[in-house]
Amino acid sequence: DENGVEVKKFKRFESYKRDNQFPSKVKDMGIVLDPKNATIVLPVMGRPVPFHINTIKNASKSDEGEWSFLRINFLSPGQGVGRKDDQPFEDASAHFVRSLTFRSTDGDRYADIANQISNLKRDAVKKEQEKKDMED
Amino acid sequence: MSIESFDNIYLDLSKEHGKCRFAENGLGWKPAGGGDAFTLDSSTINAAHWSRAARGFELKIFQRNSAITQLDGFQQEDLDRLTKIFSNWYGLRIDVKEHSLRGWNWGKAEFNKGELTFSVQNRPAFEIPYSEISNTNLAGRNEIAVEFAVSDGGKTNGHSGSKNKGKKASAGQDQMVEMRFYIPGTTTRKEAEGGDA
Repeated sequence: DENGVEVKKFKRFESYKRDNQFPSKVKDMGIVLDPKNATIVLPVMGRPVPFHINTIKNASKSDEGEWSFLRINFLSPGQGVGRKDDQPFEDASAHFVRSLTFRSTDGDRYADIANQISNLKRDAVKKEQEKKDMED
Repeated sequence: MSIESFDNIYLDLSKEHGKCRFAENGLGWKPAGGGDAFTLDSSTINAAHWSRAARGFELKIFQRNSAITQLDGFQQEDLDRLTKIFSNWYGLRIDVKEHSLRGWNWGKAEFNKGELTFSVQNRPAFEIPYSEISNTNLAGRNEIAVEFAVSDGGKTNGHSGSKNKGKKASAGQDQMVEMRFYIPGTTTRKEAEGGDA
């Protein structure tokens, strides 16, 4: 892909096949990282909702008074401001979850989660690149 | 047989579990440690869904006035008993909902009775009861921000709003405060795709 003629294609991915694959910690209704399945499980109204690392753009932590906030941004169309939006989507006319923000009084935990998400993302991108290099 | 009882059940994502009892005229929930009981008359029940939740399985009850009651902590095998209860006493079928586990962030946001459902490949991924939404706004082109009512949990004093609001989004250690959706409009789709497609 060094020659720049590569056409980016969307590759399908899947977090889980069955609900017994969720980490047992989801019962605490908190954010759970599952590196083994390249997935982050987020609590939404009492339900564990998996998001594959491939859907995640980035995560950031901020503070406001005694609260810390963790914002997880997902990849969605129309985000490439001023540059070519070359992210492939299976269906760009679909509805997308673009971001989710949580708050907690445990700021250290959010710094740690944001850090882990960045690492997971970096590893996933690296793995993808290695796979591509092998195919070439 | 006039009462069917289930232990270790949580009401609307409560922190404390309690006992859930069903009778012909309705259902009730009482916290294990004592306190106010919650009751629901059978005539107000419109529909019921069964699904996997964070804490065991969830029975979601839709009332005629669009209010939603979530009871979680059930075991998988409780479904048989509940199916009989609902069929015999309330004349209702329990719809079993299998949620998407794909981990995708794209699908379809639908505004149903009582809640917003986000579906991935025709399977629900999650639902947001309207009662938990405190505000929505257009945050940008094709971007909708949904803010949730979160209870202050004793962190600040006053203005926590209605008593029942903010229960569900702030149920766990991580309180969900905002969700943003990208909803393409037919007139701006070409623009949103950056003419790339």
